[in-house]
Amino acid sequence: MKNYIYLSVTPEALIASMIPPSEFGEYFATGQKKRNRGQAIFFEIDLEQVKYLLDFNLINSRCVRHSDGQPKHTVYLSVYRVLEKIPLKAFKNLYLTTESGITLELKPSVYDTNNELKNVLHFYQELCPVTPQIASKLTPSQFLKTITDESSPLYIPKLFFVDLKLGELAVDPMKGSAEQLPYLYVSHLRDCLVQLKDEKGKSMKTVQRFFNGSLLYRTIESGFYIGDKDNILYYPYPTMAELENINFEFLRAI
Amino acid sequence: MFSLPGASNFEVFALWSVLAIAFMGLGYALLLRKQVMRCDKGTPKMQEVWGGISEGANAYLKRQLKTIVPLIFLFTIILFLSVYIVPPTEESKLRFVGYSDESLKLIIGFGRAIAFIMGAIFSLIVGQFGMRTAVQANVRVASASRRSFGEALKIAYRAGTITGMLTDGLGLLGGTIIFIFFGVASPDTLLGFGFGGTLLALFMRVGGGIYTKAADVGADLVGKVEAGLPEDDERNAAVVADLVGDNVGDCAGMAADIFESYEVTIVSTLILGVVLYTLTHELSWIIFPLMVRGIGVFSSIIGTYLVKENKEAKTNNALNAINKGFYTSAAISILSFGILSFFYLHDWHSFLSVVVGIILAIVLDEITKHYTDGNYRPVKDIARNSKTGAATLLLKGLSYGFETAVWQTVVIALTILSAILIYHGQPVVYVLYGVALTGIGMLTLTGNNVAMDAFGPIADNANGVGELSHLDKDARKIMDGLDATGNTTKAITKGVAIGSAVIAAVALFGSFITDVSKVQIQLGFDKATQLIETGIRISVPMVFIGFLIGGVIPWLFSSLTINSVTRAAALIVEEVRRQFRIPGIIERTVKPDYQRAVDICTVAAQKELIPLALIAVLSPILVGCLLGVEALGGFLAGVILSGQLLAVFMATSGGAWDNAKKTIEDGLYGGKGSEAHHAAVVGDTVGDPLKDTAGPALNPMIKVINLVSLLAAPVLIAYQKPGQVSLGLITTGVICLAIVTGAIIFSKRGGFTKYPTLE
Repeated sequence: MKNYIYLSVTPEALIASMIPPSEFGEYFATGQKKRNRGQAIFFEIDLEQVKYLLDFNLINSRCVRHSDGQPKHTVYLSVYRVLEKIPLKAFKNLYLTTESGITLELKPSVYDTNNELKNVLHFYQELCPVTPQIASKLTPSQFLKTITDESSPLYIPKLFFVDLKLGELAVDPMKGSAEQLPYLYVSHLRDCLVQLKDEKGKSMKTVQRFFNGSLLYRTIESGFYIGDKDNILYYPYPTMAELENINFEFLRAI
Repeated sequence: MFSLPGASNFEVFALWSVLAIAFMGLGYALLLRKQVMRCDKGTPKMQEVWGGISEGANAYLKRQLKTIVPLIFLFTIILFLSVYIVPPTEESKLRFVGYSDESLKLIIGFGRAIAFIMGAIFSLIVGQFGMRTAVQANVRVASASRRSFGEALKIAYRAGTITGMLTDGLGLLGGTIIFIFFGVASPDTLLGFGFGGTLLALFMRVGGGIYTKAADVGADLVGKVEAGLPEDDERNAAVVADLVGDNVGDCAGMAADIFESYEVTIVSTLILGVVLYTLTHELSWIIFPLMVRGIGVFSSIIGTYLVKENKEAKTNNALNAINKGFYTSAAISILSFGILSFFYLHDWHSFLSVVVGIILAIVLDEITKHYTDGNYRPVKDIARNSKTGAATLLLKGLSYGFETAVWQTVVIALTILSAILIYHGQPVVYVLYGVALTGIGMLTLTGNNVAMDAFGPIADNANGVGELSHLDKDARKIMDGLDATGNTTKAITKGVAIGSAVIAAVALFGSFITDVSKVQIQLGFDKATQLIETGIRISVPMVFIGFLIGGVIPWLFSSLTINSVTRAAALIVEEVRRQFRIPGIIERTVKPDYQRAVDICTVAAQKELIPLALIAVLSPILVGCLLGVEALGGFLAGVILSGQLLAVFMATSGGAWDNAKKTIEDGLYGGKGSEAHHAAVVGDTVGDPLKDTAGPALNPMIKVINLVSLLAAPVLIAYQKPGQVSLGLITTGVICLAIVTGAIIFSKRGGFTKYPTLE
């Protein structure tokens, strides 16, 4: 039976498994005997591209069927500094699983920086390896470049993040309506955005220091980004109308 | 056999026509059932899922019968023997001229008993047959949704119409048959008919309400909240019980409830009509309301048939199609009533009263819609308040619930005022008759209302079948749309159910006053002391005590009902948790034991019901025995006022919280999983037992109390001589008090069942 390699980003872990992505997502989110709780966000990793990183003795000895014939669901290979070690070319599709176990598959897309919206404010949720929420004037590619700049004290070799909706606050943080935004402490978010807009030298502001482990999929603006100082991978998130056609169950679950 | 002295040819023809229309309504129901049953049941997987629901529904219905049949037997005997305590009226002697007193007692005794059985059986048929049909329809709707929205809508609505036609066909049939046979002696037996239907409605509504919420709460608490599974996940052992519960509560229970109001308004109108006939010798007081109901059945047939298949129909058109059917029926009815009044009555008073009733139904619909539909401000407000947490959301919902109770009560007060204005200058019995006629008018479109209501659980179940059998996206979207429409129609018809219960109770209240006065006249009471002259004097301390006690009964009933739900839900929670621990359930390699959860809910619901039924039946007897008949009148007034306010509040707040949650789940404020959604789930969980159990339970409770009072009142008058203490009545009252107290304690402790504590 084929073995799969997954990179879970919430929490960060490299996992071997005998089950395909949608089943893995359901298992990871809802669990079985242990009855886990919580959504799952993970990548399928191209095994061929990371062969040199893997302990095949461990995989071959532990990633085997149970005595009753059931496939092995998870064998943890690493839980520390995993993202930085996996080359970008190894990243295949991204999977988002709801708390109830419904999985959406996102394919990577070519990222065209010419299509980036400039002169608007952005709101990023960093997901791995660190998890603050950041308000920023920078476009996604600029943001990634800044974070992965080795000369910066905030340097991280590789970052996975998503950009979130701001609605009217993206253009007018002072007077724009925040009615539909579901974030906790919206007034604090507004203050951060106003400060960002007013202070010329400031390009980023931390809104929340930590991530509570639950990403509201309906608040995703354009999609997910992962990259280092040289490259960026972009996983566009479908619109609600597209989602209705692509994965109706997922839409109902969010 | 049939005797109607003074009846014109037209009146005789009209009466037989009404009977024929009642049969027509039943025939239409059978025709629709044949049409529905001809539709296909979909894939083997769908049929497998449906089989579980069908099995669960049959198990519940069988168990319910086992509980109810002994009680029917017991009350039949009591009602037969009651004629030896409360002798037949003078009108009976007029009807059965030449019969000895003993023979007359036998005729009336058998009449009352048979009428009771008829009322009980008809109520049972409406609930059970309606539910069975709904269960048959749900898989067919799911199958049709794979083809088109219009086809699915047609099947769902026509299946709902079957229950609607049974409700008004059987209600009209019973009242008409009794009148045809007993003529002016009908009041003696009509109460038996009313009591039979009311008692069964109490069982089905309250028992059904406890069942449905126990299954729903139990399934959600463990399945969705603890285990994080989606709605209607096949691994949840309570999912079938939850789907069965939708039918039990919203189909069988609601149909029995509205059937009860339907027949009780006929009963009270005929009772008052006979009084007016005695005064004026005009049969039109009796014939007109029956003809109005006959026209209503006829126009409902036309209106419901108009809700037709349109292959391009989308969600909005579904609700429009249903409303179009409703308003068409209303228009046909009003026009026909006008023609009837012009050519038969030559008078507009009764016509206006009936039209006021139809307007009342429409206004109550609109008020309920305004406060519970997600497209209007109140629900949007409540949803917005979810952003600041559960507390603010709950407070907003409470506020709107209170407000709705105010407006609905004002509307009912205005309805009664209109009866006063219509019969201005006439003795009070005319006004009471006018109020009863508004009840007749209000429930004229029962066929449509019940169809709209029964449509809801059918659509809900179809969605569940679709979910469990993994139908494709297009079919799921269609069923989502139908389910959303069904939620709207369910909420709206709850408003009509409560309003009709109150109007029926007010009409019965009028009958109470006239019946008591009749017995007082028979016993030679001084005119100044007759209830029709004095009225119910709240200023008299004993009467005020009765009023206060009446006011608290709905609160006590609601408290015990909600407790019952919590206890029964705890059993389901334990069972679902236990089954989740079975290896293979979560992995989907082992199927849960759905029937066990169904059995637990069924048994728990029936057991929890008994103390509540005892409170409803015995509380008026104990008040009447210990405080007197006028205090009993005050008690009734208190029950009606308090019950109406509480029922509307609970139904509206619950409905509003439910729909606020749904709007958030549709994507508002972050959708599922957001903090707003968490707050909304709290509101929905609080509101569900209110809107589906405690609130609806008050409808039949109010009517049972009224009917028991009507049945007991002549006995109380006969044995309660002014200035004397009746040892028999005091003893009866004390015994009833002891039983009621015991029932309350028993209910609070959960009876003999050992209930787990919710962790």
